[in-house]
Amino acid sequence: MPFTRIIWYEVVLFLGALAAIIAYRLLTGGINTNYLLYGTQRDGSKYFSPERLQLLLFTLGTAMFYLSDVLQNRNTGQLPDVPAQTLVLLGGSHAIYLGGKAYTMLFKKIAKESNDADTHADG
Amino acid sequence: MLILMQTAERVYTRTWVGDLSAWVALGFLGLIGVAIIYNVFTGKIDLSGLISEPSGEASMSRFQLLVFTFVIAASLFLVIASPAPPAFPALIPNGILVLLGISSSSYLVSKGIQHSSPQGVTGLRQVTIKVASNVTTAGGPSIQCQAEVLGLSDPAVTWSIDPPTGLGTIDPNGLYTPPPAGDEEATGKVTIKVTAKEDVGVTDTETITLT
Repeated sequence: MPFTRIIWYEVVLFLGALAAIIAYRLLTGGINTNYLLYGTQRDGSKYFSPERLQLLLFTLGTAMFYLSDVLQNRNTGQLPDVPAQTLVLLGGSHAIYLGGKAYTMLFKKIAKESNDADTHADG
Repeated sequence: MLILMQTAERVYTRTWVGDLSAWVALGFLGLIGVAIIYNVFTGKIDLSGLISEPSGEASMSRFQLLVFTFVIAASLFLVIASPAPPAFPALIPNGILVLLGISSSSYLVSKGIQHSSPQGVTGLRQVTIKVASNVTTAGGPSIQCQAEVLGLSDPAVTWSIDPPTGLGTIDPNGLYTPPPAGDEEATGKVTIKVTAKEDVGVTDTETITLT
């Protein structure tokens, strides 16, 4: 067997086995996924978070799209580029996620403290 | 002729040594790969908290960073190993660098937002007593105690006082009633204690002075 084919099989078997184990553990709970799609508010309560769901979908979609592109063009010896539109979409998805998180963790606190200050001033 | 033979011998030696080194390196890397997979499979390398926060909850920002890191790293491995002979790509496209930059910076900003709040860092579970006043007298006004519950799904609490008798009572809603007027010995300090029903280890106390 040619030396290069052994390298190829070694890499594919290692990555495939690692990906299979991680995917299996994620699906069976071996890797903790509790509250993956839930956010935490400042009072510690949990809420279902649509911004996390959309980020999950964009992440998996972009990753699968890119991986399929790599598998189709692997013999070129070059990594395929990521289209600018995909990067803009992904950046927007992350901005929504971070914006939602900042709103629940920070801006509500600022609004509450502002209301409290107004109440005390009125009192 | 002699020079030609010596040159051929050196080339043969160099090729033979090079091949052997390559096979040894390949075998060594293969063994490392097998060891990693074996230890991950048997749980000696613990992946249970791979995308978890210290509080035990899974993190979306960690998950997306894991996915993109794995996909880009796997793609690089495949692209290097696929051509014959294997070779590094001549350049890394800007799009990939931007993708990894978005993923990593989003993770960092997310952690920054999270660490701005105590609940985000530790998954804080606490109950705090709030009172308008902590001084009263025998026969004086009652004091309404409020319990502020953080990080628990059940806001129910139980109230108790120390000493349990002689220095007033507290009802299940946290209303402290001092002893009746005329009890001259009813002075001192009363400790109000609140305990979360969901977790009896989560408590808080407040002292009320009877004058």
